Amino acid sequence: MTLLTVSLSVLIFAFFFLIYNNMLSVGDKLGDDLQLIVYLEEEPGPEMQEQLRKKILAFDDVEEIRFISKAEALRKFSDQLGDDRDVLDDMPQDFLPASIEVVPLKDLRSLSQVKLFSEYLAKLPAAEKVQYGQDWIERFYYFTRLISIIVLLSGGLLILTSVFMVSYTIRLTILGRQAELELLKLVGATNYYIRTPFLIEGLLQGFIGSILGLISLYSLFQWIKLKFSGPGIMSLFEFTFFQATTISTIIAISIVLCAVGSYTSMQKFLRI
Amino acid sequence: MIEMIKVSKTYPPETKALSDVSLSVATGEMFFLIGMSGAGKTTLLKLLCNMESPTNGLIEIGGVNIHRTRGRKLARLRQKVGVAYQDFKLLTNRTVAENIAISMEVSYKKPQHIKKRVRDLLDQLSLAGKHDTITAELSRGEQQRVALARAVANSPTLILVDEPTGNLDSTTTERVMQLLTKCNKSGATVVIATHDHSIYTNTHHRIMELQHGRLNLVRKGAS
Repeated sequence: MTLLTVSLSVLIFAFFFLIYNNMLSVGDKLGDDLQLIVYLEEEPGPEMQEQLRKKILAFDDVEEIRFISKAEALRKFSDQLGDDRDVLDDMPQDFLPASIEVVPLKDLRSLSQVKLFSEYLAKLPAAEKVQYGQDWIERFYYFTRLISIIVLLSGGLLILTSVFMVSYTIRLTILGRQAELELLKLVGATNYYIRTPFLIEGLLQGFIGSILGLISLYSLFQWIKLKFSGPGIMSLFEFTFFQATTISTIIAISIVLCAVGSYTSMQKFLRI
Repeated sequence: MIEMIKVSKTYPPETKALSDVSLSVATGEMFFLIGMSGAGKTTLLKLLCNMESPTNGLIEIGGVNIHRTRGRKLARLRQKVGVAYQDFKLLTNRTVAENIAISMEVSYKKPQHIKKRVRDLLDQLSLAGKHDTITAELSRGEQQRVALARAVANSPTLILVDEPTGNLDSTTTERVMQLLTKCNKSGATVVIATHDHSIYTNTHHRIMELQHGRLNLVRKGAS
């Protein structure tokens, strides 16, 4: 029973932790592609470009600043349209606005920082509008936060259920072996002698339980990967399982928690 | 070995089991505590092995106040005191050998030594064929001898025995007494609580009687 509870607790926690980990790496990947586009009212001349560059750099260092002329914007758009580019034939050559593509530094990651930077860029002379996929980034940011809360909650749940279940099971074992434990005390067994088997039981429960939980999660992970491996949003990102260090940490924490559960119940029931 | 000074024991609400009992048992002495059922013999033994605490008074075993001793020290002390309980306190789902071995295992005796000692004791108590028998399957008399074997197995310096011959025939009684005498001769202090006069009438050991919780001398031991 304890083994099952420990396995399930580890499975629940590790499942959300795995999602969280992968969301973070997806976030990193999206962050790498993050760029802010400042649409301009009119195409800036070389002097104006230099002035705008200085203004942008006055806020913060950036990875790259690219000025896109109206003609370049049209060419890009036409490339994107591919075979349908002839729809642009009747359009004026300067109907797309000139813009500046600003790639921020990698350390500019938080939503508030990006927002602040975009507000600053919006105030640049001749700036008409700033775009950086606000809606998508905000939704992603809030989703990541939700996952991190779930990870924290399930982590707390893991700690509570493991400690509670292990100590409860050991209490039941103690009650079932009351006569034997009483006799052990009477013939001179030390606390250490009586406690050790229970402590080992707790350690083993933590070890085997966490291994079972992680194996179940790995099977689930492989199944999901296989099931959703076709073309779709899942194929855009590479989902990975835990690193060896993370697996070892989860197992170690589980062992420690179970040992603590076992130890505390022995302390309560074995006042010698 | 044993010093009891003005020891009283009252069970709630107001059942007085022992009143101002003072007793001194020398190291290596064999001492008989007699009395009718309910006289307080078992209570006195329980106080001596720290199963219960006195209401008043002081009890010392080998110069140590056992009721103020805790943890490892108490465990060590208990390893030196072998007790054969009136209700045997056997693990009924374990074999005879396992029950006897338990008192030696807690003091980390070597497995070969434990095996040999168990076989020796079973031979001495006519239980050689019961080595692997589950204790629940034994008769009362056999269980009583297993409890005694466990009490003496770890070669304790003090042996407390509560009604050791209550369920035994005369031949087995003699064997049990031979074993206890052997332990006593090898240096152990032995306290036997009994109402079976056949085991103490022909001995030269000191006898005291408990009557209504009070201790009276019946016969001085031969010095």
